[in-house]
Amino acid sequence: MKPESAAAKYVLPPAVYSPQLLEAVVYDLEVYLDWYRQSKVKKQVGATPDPEPTHSAETVVVIEAWLAGKPPTLESLEELIETLKNLELPQIHVMLAALPNRAQRELLVNWFRNNTTPQLLVSFVADRNLGGGVVVRTPNHVYDYTWKQQLVAGRDKLAGIIKSV
Amino acid sequence: MLAVVVIVQSLQLKKAKVAQAQMQAQPKPIKINEPTAAELEAKLKTAYEGKINEATQTFGHDLEDTSKRLSEQVSRLTTTVIEEELEAYQKTLEEVRKVATQAMEQIHEAVEHQRVELRQGMEAELASEKKLLADKFDAKMGDVVASYISESLGSGVDLGAQMQFILQSLEAHKADIRKDLIGEA
Repeated sequence: MKPESAAAKYVLPPAVYSPQLLEAVVYDLEVYLDWYRQSKVKKQVGATPDPEPTHSAETVVVIEAWLAGKPPTLESLEELIETLKNLELPQIHVMLAALPNRAQRELLVNWFRNNTTPQLLVSFVADRNLGGGVVVRTPNHVYDYTWKQQLVAGRDKLAGIIKSV
Repeated sequence: MLAVVVIVQSLQLKKAKVAQAQMQAQPKPIKINEPTAAELEAKLKTAYEGKINEATQTFGHDLEDTSKRLSEQVSRLTTTVIEEELEAYQKTLEEVRKVATQAMEQIHEAVEHQRVELRQGMEAELASEKKLLADKFDAKMGDVVASYISESLGSGVDLGAQMQFILQSLEAHKADIRKDLIGEA
């Protein structure tokens, strides 16, 4: 069993960069634990256990980071789930003109984590109406650096151009 | 003798009286011969025609005088009536004209008032509509730009080409974002 201080110091692996991924990892772990308990009971009564459920690569990374080479136990996995559920990490929402590919996503996540906090969770949303640029929504502010915003901000110039035509 | 004469005369007188009385009781038809009758008829016709001519002339004169006077009277009466009627007509016409003029002035004033009010109302409404449209345009500016961008770019958004601009924008406002997330400058 991990000491309590370890849970407090737990650092989420960089692979889990968004709230959605974190929820998916927790779900995978809960499914796994459920399977683990049922398999244990079935083994005790001589029944054939169900096949082990699949889980994502991010879940594997999280478990490995949590165990740090130690063998998994039911208690440690339960504690991991509890720790993940109780994590209070800062979150931002990033809106782009299209959903980023893996490389672009990593680039942006790394930029945010390097320039703000390493435990930041970033969720991506796409809106093609933006044209280009990025909207960053933090809990308190919206930073709009999109082409649309720049065009709207320059409406006086646009009106002048339209009048001069 | 004398007495006899007297008696005879008395008898004659008496006889004459009786004869006269008989004559008076039974008139004796007068017999007129043809020439006399023709003469009398001619005289009577002449006299009758003379009287008729005289009466006709008199009646003609009277009729002429009466007609003349009547004509004068009618003329005078007609002139007077026409003058009075004309005067009354002119008076009425003048009153009507006066009333009509007043009514026209009132109508003109009312129309002018209405025109001014209408113009002011229309100007105010136009200004309001203009402001509304401008506000609406301002409010819809984001949608207009978004639609324009969306229609112009279509589905071909190249995020890789924008990455430089995105990172530059983030770098330019890094301090604000950091401060907002972790409370540090």
